[in-house]
Amino acid sequence: MLETSALVTHAADLELVIRHVLAGLGHGIHAGRERGAGVEFSEYRAYAPGDEWRRVDWKLLARADRYYVREAERDSHVGVWLWLDATASMAEPSRRVPGLDKFWFARTALACVAAIAQRQGDAFGLVVCTDGRIDFTPASRGPRQLQRVLAALQRAKPSGVLPDAEILRANLHFARSQSMVFAATDALDWPSPLSEALIRLRHMRHDVRLLALRTEAEVTAHLASGHAYRDPEMASGLHSFDRDSRDAYSAALGAHFSAVRTDARRHDVPLCEAQIEQPLGEVLRAWLRNPR
Amino acid sequence: MTSMQPLWWFALPVLLLPLWWHLQKRERTRTEPLATARFLPAAAPRQQRVPRLVELLLLLIRLLLLVVLLAWLAVLAMPWKRDTVFIASSLNDEPWTVQQIHAAGMDGAAREPLPADVWTWLARNEHAWHPSARLLIVARDLPMPALPPRLAHTITLRTSAPAAAQRASAAPAPHERHVVVATAPQRLPRWQALFAAFSTAGEGANRYIIADTPTSTTELIVWDRPETQPPSSWQAPLWWRTTAAPASGPASGPASTFQPFIAQPALFTSAPSQQGLIWSAAQWPLTDAPAARALYEHWQRQSRSWPAYALPASIQTLPAQRKSPLPATIANSPEWLAIALLALFTIERILAHVRRR
Repeated sequence: MLETSALVTHAADLELVIRHVLAGLGHGIHAGRERGAGVEFSEYRAYAPGDEWRRVDWKLLARADRYYVREAERDSHVGVWLWLDATASMAEPSRRVPGLDKFWFARTALACVAAIAQRQGDAFGLVVCTDGRIDFTPASRGPRQLQRVLAALQRAKPSGVLPDAEILRANLHFARSQSMVFAATDALDWPSPLSEALIRLRHMRHDVRLLALRTEAEVTAHLASGHAYRDPEMASGLHSFDRDSRDAYSAALGAHFSAVRTDARRHDVPLCEAQIEQPLGEVLRAWLRNPR
Repeated sequence: MTSMQPLWWFALPVLLLPLWWHLQKRERTRTEPLATARFLPAAAPRQQRVPRLVELLLLLIRLLLLVVLLAWLAVLAMPWKRDTVFIASSLNDEPWTVQQIHAAGMDGAAREPLPADVWTWLARNEHAWHPSARLLIVARDLPMPALPPRLAHTITLRTSAPAAAQRASAAPAPHERHVVVATAPQRLPRWQALFAAFSTAGEGANRYIIADTPTSTTELIVWDRPETQPPSSWQAPLWWRTTAAPASGPASGPASTFQPFIAQPALFTSAPSQQGLIWSAAQWPLTDAPAARALYEHWQRQSRSWPAYALPASIQTLPAQRKSPLPATIANSPEWLAIALLALFTIERILAHVRRR
């Protein structure tokens, strides 16, 4: 089986990766109440590419000479919100697998969640925090929505910094009904407007699942010494790395993530920590597992 | 300076560009983005003190490439001259010249002295003139070429003998001819008298100057010492040498005319030698006037150069006979420059590739 990190790196087609990852994954995030398409008829809708052929109404085709699909009443009312941190720090590459970076990993993981949600018949939407603003894709159902979300994910580029707390708060109006929020971030800015917004959502009784992505080099503190490093989200300021500062670096990073862990536990936000060199399927299973 | 190409050297500040790029690149490659850089100790921005050898070499090669390119351009000939008037040196500042230039409508044209062999010179140097440039030649008379000149420019000729010039030509300065006479002191006045007679013979056209030692302008050496040999360093086109008197023959008797004198091999011989043509005679006609006249005429026939047939005095236009001028002979051997340019370019490409890997 192809290693997922290499697949994520080389496959331009997100759907291919999704199919590959989900093949090894069980069905479903939660117990959907849907019992199959067309149980309780609700409406006819024009056929769209990707719809199943067995849901096309053939009698109506004979009458109207057009393809119509019978829409069933859905029982699932769970909305799924995909939250992508697309700031400049997400462009951090893996120092072991060439071509792989945090952003690609987060994007592919969210695409997989979107595909699972679409299979279950849940409505799902996308929130991309990039370059001081929010790119918002409203929640909807169906294969077309999956294409929309995938296209929005493909379009996104890691750049800039997180949006202000005011902008985020103004955009939280979407979460009225109860929903699940899947947020993929590197959690390096913590506390931040993003963390505040997620905690606020949690206090509004939403199911918030946080994925904190790190690279292997960060965890093991194996960086090339002798270079000068700069923070991609800060315009100026240089940092140096040598053998002496290695321990201090891993201590500071460890302290930061333990603070994140503590904060998440205090607000009852399940936190999944992952390295981007890990297989995506495992990470997804850990992320989607019911914490209770 | 035969062209404006040396102006290319003013483009030398272009060399600053690779230097600047090089410095920029050093600054840019110094840092690397790292998302967790904020957990590292801050460092003062430092210059990278160890420049890579390949980069320095590349910079040098690039600078050299630009210099060679400029050098190559600087010797490359391009047509840059505009309308030009060629004026014979004797006609400078003549009112007739100004009038002719005005009549040709070339008042603003550049002026150049007329070169000696104008048709050959023009064929060789024509490439410096712009294709649309007009050329005007103002001269008193021009030698007519054997074949019509085949040039790429239309050339207007204005040849005439202006009145002032004609007056001047009525009494031209006598042509000086240098003669060396080596003889016994008692015979020297006779030779002097002979050459004085020669000076008057040609209606004052020639003036003979007698000296003791030959120079580069000496035309004739008279060696009137039959018992000694002339120094081997003496050179002249013509020698008159006195040989020892033959034992018998009518040499002692004065020749009535020169014709029998030069017709008798025993009296007069002509032979080429290392030092010049040698006319030998036992006795030169120093007192015999008709013989001296015959000798003078014989000498003049031998040495006289006939003037070239001049073009008729008129205004004529020689149309262009060819589409492009003869190829320029570029100075300073640009062949090795071009090869150096190619070699430098190749090295630069190779080094750039090496550095990228």
